[in-house]
Amino acid sequence: MGTATGIIRALNSGIKHLAIKRFTLRYPEEKLKFVGDGYQYDPSTGVGIAGLKGRHMLFHDKCTGCQLCAIACEGVAEAIAMVKVPEEHKHNKKAIMPQIDYGKCVFCGLCVDACPFYALYMTNDYELCSFSKEGLIYTPAQLQVKPYVAQDVDIIITDRGASHG
Amino acid sequence: MTTELPRDIKLASSEKQIDQSSSNWLPPGLALQKVDEKIMTLNVGPQHPGSGHMRLIIQIDGDYIVACDPDPGYVHRGEEKMAEYRNYITNIPHLERPVIHDSCNILYPYVLGVEELLGIEVPERAKYLRVIGAEINRCIYIMYWLAIYGIFLGHSTMFMWPTGDRELLIDLMEKMTGARVTHSHFVPGGVRNDLPANFEDVCLRQVNYFEKRIKEYAAVFYDNPILISRTKDTGVLSRQDAIRLGTTGSVLRASGVDFDVRKKEPYDVYDEFDFESIVMKEGDSYARSKVPWLDMMESCRIIKQALEKIPKSGSVRVKLKPNPKGKGFDTVYKRVESGRGSLGCYIVSDAKPEPYRLKLSVPSFRNLIALPYLLKGEKLGNMPAVYWSLNYWPVEADR
Repeated sequence: MGTATGIIRALNSGIKHLAIKRFTLRYPEEKLKFVGDGYQYDPSTGVGIAGLKGRHMLFHDKCTGCQLCAIACEGVAEAIAMVKVPEEHKHNKKAIMPQIDYGKCVFCGLCVDACPFYALYMTNDYELCSFSKEGLIYTPAQLQVKPYVAQDVDIIITDRGASHG
Repeated sequence: MTTELPRDIKLASSEKQIDQSSSNWLPPGLALQKVDEKIMTLNVGPQHPGSGHMRLIIQIDGDYIVACDPDPGYVHRGEEKMAEYRNYITNIPHLERPVIHDSCNILYPYVLGVEELLGIEVPERAKYLRVIGAEINRCIYIMYWLAIYGIFLGHSTMFMWPTGDRELLIDLMEKMTGARVTHSHFVPGGVRNDLPANFEDVCLRQVNYFEKRIKEYAAVFYDNPILISRTKDTGVLSRQDAIRLGTTGSVLRASGVDFDVRKKEPYDVYDEFDFESIVMKEGDSYARSKVPWLDMMESCRIIKQALEKIPKSGSVRVKLKPNPKGKGFDTVYKRVESGRGSLGCYIVSDAKPEPYRLKLSVPSFRNLIALPYLLKGEKLGNMPAVYWSLNYWPVEADR
């Protein structure tokens, strides 16, 4: 193949893409769709359930304050600290629950794997930015709230290429 | 076969014994060398966006490179030492940090080794899931590498296209593992979670499209006369030199040596798939840049076969005790084919929850050794084309 034909072919394959729909995502307005909920773990079978590893969710009625999540995080990021909570539960005599510092968390999900009481899950909330370091620390009360995440955009693959829409 | 090195070059820093205690001492490269006045020393990096986090001390005579002294180590993180203070499970998130784009493949040898130490038998379905994860990750890594190779050569379309198409595979991994880049998906005993519902259809559709898409790169990049003129016959590594310098992966296969760990020492279920290891004879930068691209097509074939052959149900993870321990003093070495070449992990256990010693044998460092020999006599403008074709990842080399 000659040099001229090669360059024309290369330009041609680029020009073809002018007619193809945009592949990129308009992020704050459009958000990508995920499968199901966040990452969860079933301690009875020892296998996780697929989902996005986003911000955690803590079930206060199940947490016993056993600190296994904090111990699991010790070797990874040291993001989990056990703090006192005002409420009293029969199964949580010490009244301590995990508080997660998202400035340190690496979202590996090993704390979820460590919880034997179905108390700690992950959700599909990934927008956690804050203007201060303190804003990244989520107290047990904040972790109790289930986030609402808008998910509307899916990848569409057609004969003319892939697009988000 | 002679025993001496392929090209007899003397590196500037090794010529002179430098006394570091004297007050006049300067780091190598900055120190004034007693060399010919025609020779100029040029530091590429460590802040240079092209070199990655490493420095190349290049001596040039006019436009021609006389000697090159790679200076890695700027992103040394002590991964191996860190591993001695963490148990076998908490080692997983930090061990994948050296190559976050290839995080499944860097965990693979570690996980295989720990399984042998603990004597775990992995469920069949988990082995297939690992192969799917590892092959998708290989494509993700190669696409990223290809994007950088494009921008190294001033081809900005080749930067945009792989970066965009890579998103398809990252979305697949996100559905499968829950994380876009650092998945922490492989664990001793299988994988963390089963596939989500409807994953097979989505994966097949996206991999089919991806395969069609990467074929389009031929016209814009690989058959492009401008690329060919820049990379053909630059940095030629002969077959014998490639073996003698200990290179691996795409660099070795581009020089005509058929060595692919997936073929030669099949791990998990790689012996059940029909794929070829890509070999090219030229050994120049063009061949080294083309082998990973052809590798991706083989990866797509493996993913499709794995989706067909995977057992439809079954466990994916063996339940381990909370703090798994080795059985006694034991050593194990496992290696896999990563996106860059054979990646080995050597673990010494002494019946404690933590490994006594963990050593990563990384392909990036092994390929870097070839750089001084390839660059000698090249033009300075060809340096990026040769350097990045070695499939080098600075963070992995420093560990």
